[in-house]
Amino acid sequence: MTSPIFWVGVLTLALIYGSLAMVLNVESGWGGMWDLGVAGLLASGAYCYVILTIDDPELDTKFVPGWPMWLAWPAAALFTGLVALAIAVPALRLRREYFLITTLAFAEIIRQLIVIQTDLTRGTTGVANLDRPFDTIVEGRNYNYVLLGIVAFTALVVYLITRRVGRSAYGRALRAARDNEALALALGKPVNRMRIKTFVLVGVLIGAIAPVYLFYIRAISPQLFAPGITFTIWTALVIGGMGSIRGGVIGAVMLIGFTEAVGLIEVDPAHINILVAIEPFLVGLLLVAVLRFRPEGLFAERNTFGARRGNHRTNRRPASAPVGPITGAGTAAAAPTVSA
Amino acid sequence: MELVLDRVCKSFGGVVAVDNVSVRIPRDEITALIGPNGAGKTTLFNTVTGFDPPDRGSITFAGKRIDGLPPWRVAGLGLIRTFQTPVGFTTLTVLESMLTAATPYSMESPRQVLSFGRKAHRLERKAEAQAEQITTELGLGDLLDMRTDELSAGDRKLLEFARQLMAEPKMLLLDEPAAAVAPASIGKLSQLVRQLCRERGLGSLIIDHNLSFLMQIADSVHVLDRGVLIASGPPADIAADSDVMRIYLGGEEVVT
Amino acid sequence: MQNVIFGIVTGSTLAIATIGFAMVHQTENFLNIAHAQVMALGAFVGVFLVESYDLNIFLAGAITVIGVGVFGVGLAAVFFRPIRHLGGTVLLFTSIGLALMLYAVIIALFSTRPRIYPVGFGGLHEIAGVDIATGELVIVGLAFVGITALQLFLNGTGLGRAVRAVASNDDLARVRGVPVRRVSNTIWFISSAFAALAGVMIGVLSSVNAELGWHNILIILAAAVLGGLRSISGVIVAGLLLGIVMDVSVLYIPTAYRPVVAFGVLVAVLVFRPEGILSVQRRKEAVVT
Repeated sequence: MTSPIFWVGVLTLALIYGSLAMVLNVESGWGGMWDLGVAGLLASGAYCYVILTIDDPELDTKFVPGWPMWLAWPAAALFTGLVALAIAVPALRLRREYFLITTLAFAEIIRQLIVIQTDLTRGTTGVANLDRPFDTIVEGRNYNYVLLGIVAFTALVVYLITRRVGRSAYGRALRAARDNEALALALGKPVNRMRIKTFVLVGVLIGAIAPVYLFYIRAISPQLFAPGITFTIWTALVIGGMGSIRGGVIGAVMLIGFTEAVGLIEVDPAHINILVAIEPFLVGLLLVAVLRFRPEGLFAERNTFGARRGNHRTNRRPASAPVGPITGAGTAAAAPTVSA
Repeated sequence: MELVLDRVCKSFGGVVAVDNVSVRIPRDEITALIGPNGAGKTTLFNTVTGFDPPDRGSITFAGKRIDGLPPWRVAGLGLIRTFQTPVGFTTLTVLESMLTAATPYSMESPRQVLSFGRKAHRLERKAEAQAEQITTELGLGDLLDMRTDELSAGDRKLLEFARQLMAEPKMLLLDEPAAAVAPASIGKLSQLVRQLCRERGLGSLIIDHNLSFLMQIADSVHVLDRGVLIASGPPADIAADSDVMRIYLGGEEVVT
Repeated sequence: MQNVIFGIVTGSTLAIATIGFAMVHQTENFLNIAHAQVMALGAFVGVFLVESYDLNIFLAGAITVIGVGVFGVGLAAVFFRPIRHLGGTVLLFTSIGLALMLYAVIIALFSTRPRIYPVGFGGLHEIAGVDIATGELVIVGLAFVGITALQLFLNGTGLGRAVRAVASNDDLARVRGVPVRRVSNTIWFISSAFAALAGVMIGVLSSVNAELGWHNILIILAAAVLGGLRSISGVIVAGLLLGIVMDVSVLYIPTAYRPVVAFGVLVAVLVFRPEGILSVQRRKEAVVT
């Protein structure tokens, strides 16, 4: 049962979640935007991709564009960026928990719309047996290695992009505005505009990851994009440590590895529901436990840049904000110093 | 290049915080604003800097109307304020805070991820050199890699001032710069404020409770009481004005 | 008009579901995402009691409400109280973790098979040209009794007044020597018991399935925000209004859009009137210009 192929699959899924966690870290860890609508953006990208690539009239959809993958992929990213823009403009007028509720609501609206628009999306039925890159060349079990390669490449690109964000003046300004919005404004930073742009960037990245997720799942249906997936990505990020790029990936690998490994336990088919329950239970338990005993996350790099005088010019680390912004920044942003 | 307030009013839910204030703050002088607690000094700052736009009246800076502009636009014109409670960018290091202040916002967009030009790099180098110079002058030179929330209250206050200088201000609005600063550093601070204003032709408007500090450096003093401007003049005249001193002494403790 | 009646029935259950959520938000200062899972748990426990022990629905409901209420007090003591000092965001994310765990427990105990309460609704009554079933009347009546009892408790007893004191100013209440722990336990009991009551009501009206909690959390959030998150009466009115809007919207747009309408209303209210439709507070808190 524990063949290498199985673990290749686990690693593939972990890297997909890891990529999403890295993106979420830019938005929430550095940007301080508590987004519970990741599932909505992921759904937008995934459905855009699937709808554009549909080439089988038998599916009875309104459109059969039959776009090639390489064209539909960037189109999905761009479309998701636009969706993100449409969400960001109203949602970013709100702070903290209100922003969180709004993003969650938008994600649910998107999911419900997908369910309803059956002639575009085939509703709850969805589409199965999706084509995957190179699946005509490499077939059968060996394809899993190809898929791992694609996913690893995606994760690497996402890593390089987020690292560049972290080391740039842009990333620094994001963290500055997260720490103290009033001060950022007083220094001439158009904080809201910067956050909207960030949200769009996040949308584009998630939209680009979405097709890769579909290559793994091989099918699409609205159930994939229930709030559960958002919570799982958040859990990965919180476990790994918010504010740190690596934290998200390590958290995802741990979380997915752990839940999949527990899923291997043999259970009497009569108690199959217990098997179904294990994953959400573990995700929830890990989230609760980490928040309780180590709210800054397991891998937050404490004092990354303290006591490093002298090499800051050559080696400006992205400050990984290891305060666990979950406790620190949330409150800092909530207490504007203006009113003093 | 001056800051002009014309009949500015601001109230919160029926409570008048700033009442019909008209004042000119010249570009190349140090102006002090004093008054007891609750006189509306900080509210006036918030009104000028766009955090709490005025209900009525107009504010112009360098001939341009600024009332109604968002705070970041006001700052972009060179009107840079400090905050009374110097929280700072809590998780950023001193150097990072300084660089953030110096970097124009156009260089802080996601587009930067795609650009591989030299311009950002050059700006960053220049800002680093400047940051080292300013922090050294203020005695923060050894703390460049410390996180803001690890600094002492006094150092944070100095950082507040140092950081805002990096933003190339044309006029500084300092909200209680001397509070929480060690008495020994106050002399240094006032010297620096004076020197900078002279060198850069920088105007500044200072709120503080430390009257002796203000009397030392201010060219002129305005007194605010319950939102109303009750007196203006050179420091010596104000100090001699018995009405003012009575209001002031009645309002709160005077540090001499 | 028929749909308005449906809306009032839906709205009553929604109001009952939201009251506990709003009370916890007022007193503990966080959004308790696990609230809807407690509600789902109530629905399952109720149907289990009716099915397995052949209990009368009212008896089963009463046992469920009290049992889940006590369970809620335990959950708060284990999960929330120890991390109270870490602030609303940590509490909120902990409640998401707890929601996932409760969801898993529900699946493990009751499986994902949908269930139906084996109770009849009685005959239809025609009131002013509109049909309403006895069962629906009972549900609206129970909601009314529950709300009235809560108001009497909050206004008429010492403990109730202490709850209100904590809700309006936690620190002050602490200083004044309000028994904070006891008040907190009371709040969690009321919150969980009302959630369970709502769960049983929703279960009786439609069916019970494992996704019940996730499907309802946003509607509860919508009602709570709509009511301004601050006042119980605001939440009740908002719950009723939202129920009516959802059920009347069915006349004008396809039924499938019913949940979208609720979330659409939520987003619109958040963006245009974040202080809620009835409350004037909190605007400054919600919006930063």
